[in-house]
Amino acid sequence: MARCLEKGAGHIILFRGGRYVSDSKGRKRIRDRRRGPFVFLCLLPAFLFLAIFLYYPIEETFRIAMTKSTGMGPETYVGFDNYVKLFSNEEFLTGLLHVFQWAFWSVIIQLPLAFLIAFALTYYRNKLTGPLRSIYYLSNVLPSAITAMIGRFIYAPKSGVISSLANTLGWKWLGAIDWLGDPNLAFWSVFALATWAYTGFPIIYLMARIEQIPNEIREAAELDGATGWHYASRIVIPDLKYPFQILAVLCTVGSLKLFDLPYILTTGGPGNATVTLGITLYRHGFINWNYGLAAAIGVVISLLSLGFTIAQFSLGREKGGESL
Amino acid sequence: MKKRSLFVLSILALGLFSASSLFADKVKLTVWAGDIPDDSPDHAYAKALVAGFQAKYPDIQLDYVGLGNDGFKDKLKVTMASGSGLPDVFQTWGGSVMGGYADAGMLLDLTKELKDVPGSAAAASAVTWKGKIYGVAPFFAVAGLFVNEGIFQANGLKVPATVEGFEKVCDTLKAKGIQPFACGAKDKWPALALYMYMTNRYGGDSSAKASARKLAYDSVAFVKAAQLYQKWVKAGYFGATPLGEGYGDAQQLMFTGKAAMMVTGSWMCANFASADMTDQKIGFYAFPALAKGGVGKATDLMGMTDIGYAASKTGADKKDAVVKFLKYAMSPEACAADPGRICSVPGVKAKNSITAQASAVFGGAKTVTFWWDQDLPPSVTSPLNDTIQTFFLPDTDVKKELSKFEALCVENMGGIKK
Repeated sequence: MARCLEKGAGHIILFRGGRYVSDSKGRKRIRDRRRGPFVFLCLLPAFLFLAIFLYYPIEETFRIAMTKSTGMGPETYVGFDNYVKLFSNEEFLTGLLHVFQWAFWSVIIQLPLAFLIAFALTYYRNKLTGPLRSIYYLSNVLPSAITAMIGRFIYAPKSGVISSLANTLGWKWLGAIDWLGDPNLAFWSVFALATWAYTGFPIIYLMARIEQIPNEIREAAELDGATGWHYASRIVIPDLKYPFQILAVLCTVGSLKLFDLPYILTTGGPGNATVTLGITLYRHGFINWNYGLAAAIGVVISLLSLGFTIAQFSLGREKGGESL
Repeated sequence: MKKRSLFVLSILALGLFSASSLFADKVKLTVWAGDIPDDSPDHAYAKALVAGFQAKYPDIQLDYVGLGNDGFKDKLKVTMASGSGLPDVFQTWGGSVMGGYADAGMLLDLTKELKDVPGSAAAASAVTWKGKIYGVAPFFAVAGLFVNEGIFQANGLKVPATVEGFEKVCDTLKAKGIQPFACGAKDKWPALALYMYMTNRYGGDSSAKASARKLAYDSVAFVKAAQLYQKWVKAGYFGATPLGEGYGDAQQLMFTGKAAMMVTGSWMCANFASADMTDQKIGFYAFPALAKGGVGKATDLMGMTDIGYAASKTGADKKDAVVKFLKYAMSPEACAADPGRICSVPGVKAKNSITAQASAVFGGAKTVTFWWDQDLPPSVTSPLNDTIQTFFLPDTDVKKELSKFEALCVENMGGIKK
């Protein structure tokens, strides 16, 4: 049994049956051979869980993506045909464009908006801060289905909230707008609702980080005359670089996987006006029974998510940010 | 203390033993369905079926799982794909989806057991695939023209006897500020029924020929029907915001008398007849034929199973219980509970005047074309509804959209056979 005894900054290690090993940085570590089976047993459940519910499905997705499969009956190996088909499929390409647009505008609109609200709530702290924090976060805890139903209620032509309100005020031009039925507007209508629904989390996250900035710094800044925007731009924003990076990654990956809100609101329509990669995947897999193509879309989403995550963190590191 | 523990243990053991012996002779029959057996009028039949079957067959333990429409379809598809954990019986609409399961060897052939069950021929054919019967279809739905008779009467209008007659009626209604048609095109599938009728009226059995790959989906009848559809959209017959209205919105327009007509399935009869839902006087009519140059007749109907059940291969070792359930599903006793569907079982009377009208239309049918989005291979059904939705966009080149759909059909169903 190995036993550790701390002394100063280092460790004096007393052991029986172990041996010293060196790690990649040349530091000496002790490996106790008799602890191996115990460690293995401890790790086994987690490893089995991951293997069955994560690694195996990933492997299967990659494999099925190379087959023509209806989910029933024999599969036919088609190599990279599904990927070739995807990149000539109008619905997929439109979905791809939409998720990129969604990711871009999410980062451009949702994050600054979240910061402004988070900063205002922390900087101008008063009795309303607590209730407002809950109100902003409320949209985040609502299930997407409920959010979408609220959206339908707001956007419905003739009887919707906007339409009724506009007609009451005599603004017939506003009441006549078909928010979800006009292909030029549908994407932005869904995005506006999503901005309300998805901004709650960044607000709370950024508030938590802003509140970690010591009061002494704020007081010192105020003594130097830096209040309001100057304090935000010179002290708070540089301090939030890493949280912004995390949120940007979450926004991007979330956009790539986007499904529920546009599906419930518009089922991807009118035409392909609000289609996303998630909707395309669902349609091909669960409606069209084309598992091969659906799996290929899944692979594309995974690779894009991975690529964006690595790229965003690499960029952050190059600019001196924290690493993962 | 020890004695007390022993006493408790023996009581528990006795309890377990009696419980197991109580269920030992019971056959457990698992049924998955979209319809939840609750108090909704739509689910009156499902509720009566479950309660009645359990009362009639106490030796069969019925495990009826109502999952809601979409949840049920997704769960069944995934389970069928995995091949394990299948229910003994599941709700079905028949057609190619059920056929796909049959082709994969997932279903139980019950031709011998069910061939003599009384019911309409159209309903029976919906649950028959490649000559084998896999289930029953106690209720059948046909699409028809729901007309707000009150609005028509108040405006001196008559239900059009020809397709051309609609335009005059619609223009009059529009001039009075009434939306001529409610549709629900936002949800895509509700737009299909009218297009199927228009195509049939122009080309007769062109859809049957197209699905048999003897005709292309961008041939004359399909294009003419799409052009007429788009013309009506542009004329505002579906209102100013047709793509903003889902099926629920369309129903509301009919319930409140804001729209005068709706082409949809007869499953709406009960709701349109219900005084709790609407105070409008609504009737059901066959969709008319073209006055000139048409092939299809008003007696050519579009429709399919409304409620059906099929048996999976896991029911093979309890075939007797499965057949009892399916036959009970077709019994007048269970079917009489439904307030508004067209029943395919002889001797079950319609519960309201609209269902009686729909049953009469169904009774006079010479041909019934199954819903394309249920009967065509699943690989093209979703794109079909997407294509039809594009007719609602004023700038769409319908011929081009249909050609794109045809190309997909060639890929998935094969080219045109000469």
